[in-house]
Amino acid sequence: MSGGSSAFKITSCTPDGGKAREKEEARPVKPPYEQYFEEMPCYVSVHDRNLRIVQANRRFREHFGERVGEYCYRAYKGRDEACPDCPVQETFLQGSGQISEQTLVPVAGPPVPVRVWTTPILGEDGRIVAVMEMHTDMRRFKVLEARLERSQARLAQLFEDVPCFISVQGRDRIIQNANRKFRETFGDAVGDYCWRVYKHREERCLICKAQETFDEGVPHEHEEVVTTAAGKPIHVLCVTAPVHNAAGEVDSIMEMSTDITPLRELQSQLTSIGLLVGSISHGIKGLLTGLDGGMYLVNSGFEKGRPERVKQGWEMVQRNVERIRSMVLDILYYAKDRELEVKPIEVGKLAGEIVESMQQRASDLDVNLSLEMEPEAGLLPGDAKAVRAMLVNILENSLDACRADTSQRPHRVGFKVRRSPPWLLFEIEDNGIGMDRETREKLFSLFFSSKGVSGTGLGLFISNKIARKHGGAIEVDSEPGRGSRFTVRLPLEARPSTQLEEGNAGTGAT
Amino acid sequence: MAEKKVLIVDDEPDVVAYVTSFLEDEGYVTRSARDAATALAVLGGFRPDAILVDVLMPGSSGLDLLVTLRRDPRWRDLPLVVVTGMDQILEKDCQSYFAAYEDVSGPDAVLGKPIDRRALLAVLTHVCDRLPVS
Repeated sequence: MSGGSSAFKITSCTPDGGKAREKEEARPVKPPYEQYFEEMPCYVSVHDRNLRIVQANRRFREHFGERVGEYCYRAYKGRDEACPDCPVQETFLQGSGQISEQTLVPVAGPPVPVRVWTTPILGEDGRIVAVMEMHTDMRRFKVLEARLERSQARLAQLFEDVPCFISVQGRDRIIQNANRKFRETFGDAVGDYCWRVYKHREERCLICKAQETFDEGVPHEHEEVVTTAAGKPIHVLCVTAPVHNAAGEVDSIMEMSTDITPLRELQSQLTSIGLLVGSISHGIKGLLTGLDGGMYLVNSGFEKGRPERVKQGWEMVQRNVERIRSMVLDILYYAKDRELEVKPIEVGKLAGEIVESMQQRASDLDVNLSLEMEPEAGLLPGDAKAVRAMLVNILENSLDACRADTSQRPHRVGFKVRRSPPWLLFEIEDNGIGMDRETREKLFSLFFSSKGVSGTGLGLFISNKIARKHGGAIEVDSEPGRGSRFTVRLPLEARPSTQLEEGNAGTGAT
Repeated sequence: MAEKKVLIVDDEPDVVAYVTSFLEDEGYVTRSARDAATALAVLGGFRPDAILVDVLMPGSSGLDLLVTLRRDPRWRDLPLVVVTGMDQILEKDCQSYFAAYEDVSGPDAVLGKPIDRRALLAVLTHVCDRLPVS
């Protein structure tokens, strides 16, 4: 269809448009071509500048009827006006063939999606006199296309919904794509460096499994700790796999991580139980030594007729039995989260009893233990046993801090009780060894003890728990070499501990 | 035979009172210290025939004290008995601790807590007379 030799004699389509001629005038003049035209296995039609059909083949007629002379938009689509994306008009305008997709409406049957090729037909003067349109049935193609789209959407959906963190990264380690769980946990990370997203670092990690996957082209598996957008560290098991392009080169990698934090927490709980058993076993051995010693002194004191030794031995027995009792209570408190038995506590009486019970131990250690209290300390709603255990734990801790200080200065532990509505404050201040920042921060952690194995690492953990359960908190102020001050703050009005109190509980991370 | 002298180093006053009474009953002369630093101060004016050391004490541990004494020509040959309630895990730590000091020989004997009084006497008799402890 090139050059000026038109296969058709067209007289109706002069550039300045004229009226429509009789369709007989547009008959093909060369019978062999007419036959080919007729038998083309697709719809073929010829249109004039006014978008009227001047010729159509047999297949067209079979599906659309005898439509020569009608507007193509009416014949093909049943429309009353020209299509907005008319390929025939475009061909007249551009002077070259166009390809587009349309949906045709045959006389019978469902609409047919087609691909339309147009080609200009030139008159003897080289101007376009008509446009020939050829339509191929796209129904089968459309079905395949829809299926492909569905499966692509399904793949994308799977990628989105996989319950682990997936990201695709380029060689520059920039995240190109990330699934929903990843975005929910690490923020909208696409376009950012993986080390910034995963670890809040400003430079590449020293050891990078993704790099190894790029270098070696094989998957790698490793475990590490990453930080969520909210700043929470989580343990992940991470698999990196190469993604190949059409040429078979690794142009990106896919990283799939699973949150295994609960598993690690369980592991550390098991380790904790092991530590607890070890710690208790050592503590009990020490207490048994004390009991043994007490019994030895009692027995040998009787044998030798030395009552002061019997007295010393008996006190030793009592003291160690008391320690075993408090240790067992601590363990029970840890093992079983018992409910508080809240009753009004006479604060003055309780504080007096506690200090009295600890005087002997303090004087053994050359520590001056003093109590300072307002005359009207009044009542405090709380669980007397728990509050007592909490205060004894802190006081013992202060005595230990004095004992551990080898400087020659005289040691003292001051215990102050005062009302500061809405709080009742217990202040326990010592001039012992004091604590560095790390010790201060870990102070209330389970099994943390700065006392080697002479502590179980339970005491302050439980004290903190007791304060919180009462809706209060423990604050710590300390400096190495200077001493420490613990302030226990309990509400004067009974109230259950709330989320707010949890958050306010100072350094008491548990 | 002159009375044997023993220095007891333990941070637990009950243990000190107990061991002191027991050893004095058995004819020993004792002194005590509640930590490693005090022990070194006591050694300035008291020459024991043996020293009993607890491991975990505030400040320097009994093992630190052992290393200090073993490296000091004045105390290098002083028999040293570790008395501890440490369990197996900690004993392993103890071994790895000594592995780090090639030049230092370990304790002459190790006794567990609660203290077996007969074993304590047997060990002291041996080490004070410079006999090998089985």
